[in-house]
Amino acid sequence: MKPRFKQISPLICEFEWNSAASDELLQYQLTFKKNLQQDFDSEITELRLGFKTLAVILSNPLNSSVFEDWLNSLNPEEISSFLPEKIWEIPVCYSLATGRDLSSLAKLKNINQEEVISLHTQPLYRIHFYGFLPGFMYLNGLKAELHTARKSIPDREVPVGSVAIGGSQTGIYPSSSPGGWHLIGQTPISLFDPKLPIPVFAAAGERIEFTPITIREFDQLARHPRKPEFR
Amino acid sequence: MIRDIGYLKILKTGPGTSVQDTGRIGYAQYGVPISGALDSKSFAWVNHLLKNKDSDAVLEICQPGLKLQFGAPTLICLAGAKAAIKLNGGIIASDGIYEIRESDQLEIGAFRLGSVLYLGIKNGFQSDKIMNSRSWYSDITSSQFAKKGDQIPYFTNQDYPSYTASKVKWDFNWAQKNVIEVFAGPEWKLLNKKSQELIESMQFTISELKNRMAVQLSELLPNTLPEMATAPVFPGTVQLTSGGKLIILMKDAQVTGGYPRILQFSEEGLSVLAQIPTRQIIKFQIKKSH
Repeated sequence: MKPRFKQISPLICEFEWNSAASDELLQYQLTFKKNLQQDFDSEITELRLGFKTLAVILSNPLNSSVFEDWLNSLNPEEISSFLPEKIWEIPVCYSLATGRDLSSLAKLKNINQEEVISLHTQPLYRIHFYGFLPGFMYLNGLKAELHTARKSIPDREVPVGSVAIGGSQTGIYPSSSPGGWHLIGQTPISLFDPKLPIPVFAAAGERIEFTPITIREFDQLARHPRKPEFR
Repeated sequence: MIRDIGYLKILKTGPGTSVQDTGRIGYAQYGVPISGALDSKSFAWVNHLLKNKDSDAVLEICQPGLKLQFGAPTLICLAGAKAAIKLNGGIIASDGIYEIRESDQLEIGAFRLGSVLYLGIKNGFQSDKIMNSRSWYSDITSSQFAKKGDQIPYFTNQDYPSYTASKVKWDFNWAQKNVIEVFAGPEWKLLNKKSQELIESMQFTISELKNRMAVQLSELLPNTLPEMATAPVFPGTVQLTSGGKLIILMKDAQVTGGYPRILQFSEEGLSVLAQIPTRQIIKFQIKKSH
């Protein structure tokens, strides 16, 4: 599980793992991140996760041998801390009115809309990191039956809260934006609040679950917003 | 110090005028772009001359056709691009410090050299600070770009502002180059020898697709690399898209991407790039980071 170290520029470097995204790798990445933070607190401006990477932004140039030596000193047997247990419930209205590609995606996959909804709501999805848009969660766990190539021509505007599928991934658009994913539903929950000290509610390593709601419930929640709930 | 609020009123503007500072550092973990001045060198210069804090907010101007009116006395400083500028109708140089009185009007005309002009103000602009930065970005601040009628707050002293230091020349020669030093990106080694040599020897054109998010180069490269697992990207990261386009990410770029990251600009290189107008030619000089 030891990553490779790469110096990118004097102030940017990266650790890269040679394995596919998984809970096990994420657990290791999060422990690794915590250790880096502790050991290089004054040298590091920012740490950022990718599916197989952890990037480091330095406050001042540092000889790359410092990180290489640190890497060599790590005990490979060390048990990493467990992933968080928290599961966030995201209410989603799956319908053509709230997810305009629901029927075309079902057709593409040769299943009916109910099966799309059922396949999408079954798994618990693991949050790996945020990116793409402020508050956009990169999730792991989409069932292979729902993997769908991105649209060849992206939509000019995807509505805020859209729940979508692109390639092997699923995600929620926290703001309205152009996008190339297939829209299957929409959540009335707000995913990003720039006025809060921590603008997102969920942390990397936690999980989310999509819970189907009716269009009536969707309208109600849109009118009377509430905070997301977890268990 | 007396700190009353004055307002800078936008009387007329082209696209691409915004308030910028050093950006949102530490918020990429929530998917928030860093933002901040495209040319950090010129940005730093205006704050330095005004004896402001390093992170004070300035106005970043990317297009001619801007007309401003100051509601209260202050000091301003210009640096960056060389442009045709008028203060109350009289031509002034596009660099250095100017004393401003109530109701003074400033007009920014054609850019003669460079692409981005900075207007710094004594103690910085005071628009909303969100996530430790006043840099405008849609969905985070209320404005993304200045519109006619906007009023941007700043502090004014009731005393008539005066500036007595000798004139310091703004040296813009650093931006007048077309060979830019870059570092090999994390996926550079995955390119075959032929592609690497091509990138090192080719001339690239800055296309019309140039904004605060990214600069796209016109020339296409044969691309043999597949997309990869989504990974962090930074201002100055050069992505090679599956269609063979080179995209240089700028300050408002998203914080992660799935295209191979073949080159990385330094902050200084990014300042140079920000000042190069569209349709100009650039070349890469690749150096090892260690």
